[in-house]
Amino acid sequence: MTASKTTSRATLITIIITLLLVALLGWRFYSLGNYTLARATQDFLNALTLGSLYALIALGYTMVYGIIRLINFAHGDIFMLGSYLAFYAMALTPMHWAAALLVTILLGGTVLLVIRALFNLEEPKKTITLALLLFAGTFFLLAFRHMGWIEALLLSMLATGVAGVLLEAVAYRPLRGAPRESMLITAIAASFFLENLGQLLFGPRVRGFNAETILNKPLSFSIGHDTVYFTGILVMVPLITALLLFVLNTFVSRTKLGKAMRATAQDAEVAQMMGVNVNQVIALTFFIGSILAAAAGVMYSIRFGQIHPLMGLMPGIKAFTAAVIGGIGSLPGAVLGGLLLGMIEIYAVSLFPTLSAYRDVFAFVLLILIMLFRPSGLVGEDLTEKV
Amino acid sequence: MPEPLLELKNVSAYYGPIRALTDVNMVLYPGEMVCLLGGNASGKSTTLKTILGLVQVGEGDVFFRGENMRNKSTSYRIEKGMAVVPENRRIFPKMTVRENLEMGAYLRDDKKAIKEDMEYVFSLFPRLEERLNQMGGTMSGGEQQMLAMGRALMSRPKLILMDEPSMGLAPKLVETIFKIIKTVNDRGITVFVVEQNANIALSIADRGYVLQTGEVVLSGPAQDLLHNEAMRKAYLGEV
Repeated sequence: MTASKTTSRATLITIIITLLLVALLGWRFYSLGNYTLARATQDFLNALTLGSLYALIALGYTMVYGIIRLINFAHGDIFMLGSYLAFYAMALTPMHWAAALLVTILLGGTVLLVIRALFNLEEPKKTITLALLLFAGTFFLLAFRHMGWIEALLLSMLATGVAGVLLEAVAYRPLRGAPRESMLITAIAASFFLENLGQLLFGPRVRGFNAETILNKPLSFSIGHDTVYFTGILVMVPLITALLLFVLNTFVSRTKLGKAMRATAQDAEVAQMMGVNVNQVIALTFFIGSILAAAAGVMYSIRFGQIHPLMGLMPGIKAFTAAVIGGIGSLPGAVLGGLLLGMIEIYAVSLFPTLSAYRDVFAFVLLILIMLFRPSGLVGEDLTEKV
Repeated sequence: MPEPLLELKNVSAYYGPIRALTDVNMVLYPGEMVCLLGGNASGKSTTLKTILGLVQVGEGDVFFRGENMRNKSTSYRIEKGMAVVPENRRIFPKMTVRENLEMGAYLRDDKKAIKEDMEYVFSLFPRLEERLNQMGGTMSGGEQQMLAMGRALMSRPKLILMDEPSMGLAPKLVETIFKIIKTVNDRGITVFVVEQNANIALSIADRGYVLQTGEVVLSGPAQDLLHNEAMRKAYLGEV
């Protein structure tokens, strides 16, 4: 069979399945009877929020895969780390100035060094500005503030980004050039390590994540006779996600380093021939991926109200699924896959309440279908190896 | 004789236990155009990779602009003035023509001079200017070859290393490409071109080296090589 025939058959099957799904949903909407516009709106908000969170995590998987062809199984645990860092940041009471100064120098100094190396900040002027901002900001937060969720979010994103860079330097960099399987196994080991370290440091029990902000205040508005109930976080998550996606997109498509990242993903050896420092680009990829995972982690914790050291497992696997569904290696694919997964999970449970126990199954059924009919993912490129 | 631009002194290189280059000696003087000939698996590409630092030198030394390149990173060598047109073009397929050219100037910060160099590239290859916002991967083989050459020129190099620029191109296009290589060389940029197509390479080069299983077996002025008996038999397709 020729390639084009295979493609057209796959397209046909995809269309048929889509039509069947639409028919099924339509019938379900109709037969449920009480499925009002208000409920649909509420489901949509839930789905968009969950999907945004998956998308943010999925980006980390897909970016790392795009650059070094590694499934970073520890990514879900980086997400967990981000949540805990924010948790502790918010639990802090203002420190004595000396302690604050010490922590500021250690923490701010590390972050400064990493950022400087990652972004090629050679000009002393830029470095000094950045240093002042970092040190003053951290000191102010530690010494004078009860941190709110925004401050904790920012701090956690920075610190988790640095943790991601460390993970790459310690676990993956020594294996550069080793067979891919070795890296994959190391990734699994890194995941176990972080999970156990989390249980050791943070304690194994579930803890409440009480961000007492307007984000958790019940809100409502009405559509016709019905009322939509929601909380601020349901609006905030998609907004923050959109903002982060915008920044990421601008970085990747406009800046020199962003272009170097894309070039490395397309052909690492030639990127090196153009003078790109591939190690720097890889570290930068881990930094960005971890920042996004931390943002997702903190928002996830606010949304669901609790954290524990193994919390990264399920969202991690789901986001990985999302990245594969969208087409691993593709940034728009990861976002699309994440949103799709969020939608499917929420609407499936809402439309088929009897199936709610199978909630997690839907994502993986979709994964299997995609793998069968469109193995390169929704917007992924052909899987045929480069010649 | 002026100071050599590039010099390989007794270079040997290895892939694991396998020796790919044995005791290779080469010299390139500023402004020259030198070609490196040889059959398949004779070590041509390895020589280029060794010069670039993508393959580590086992024994011997590579000197560029008088400096020993041992343990120097590829990006350092690029910054010093090397540029590559890799085998099979290998442009970035999912970046536009403009972005591909910008990647060539990755290590430079002088925006104004970069713009001038882009104009120069457009004067050599007007086609590239027409296709500025097209994805590299959607262009024809010849256009991609032009883009790869333009990309190399964007670093304002002292030395351009070309790996098989004629590969997979129609004969007419090969001629055009080599004419442009000559134009670039006439501007004072030293060109080191690796080729299987010995005839065309020798017809425009100043000098040539011939590699066989990792060793230099012949070298000399291009005209001499072109008329060398052994050379004709082995590489120029005459029985």
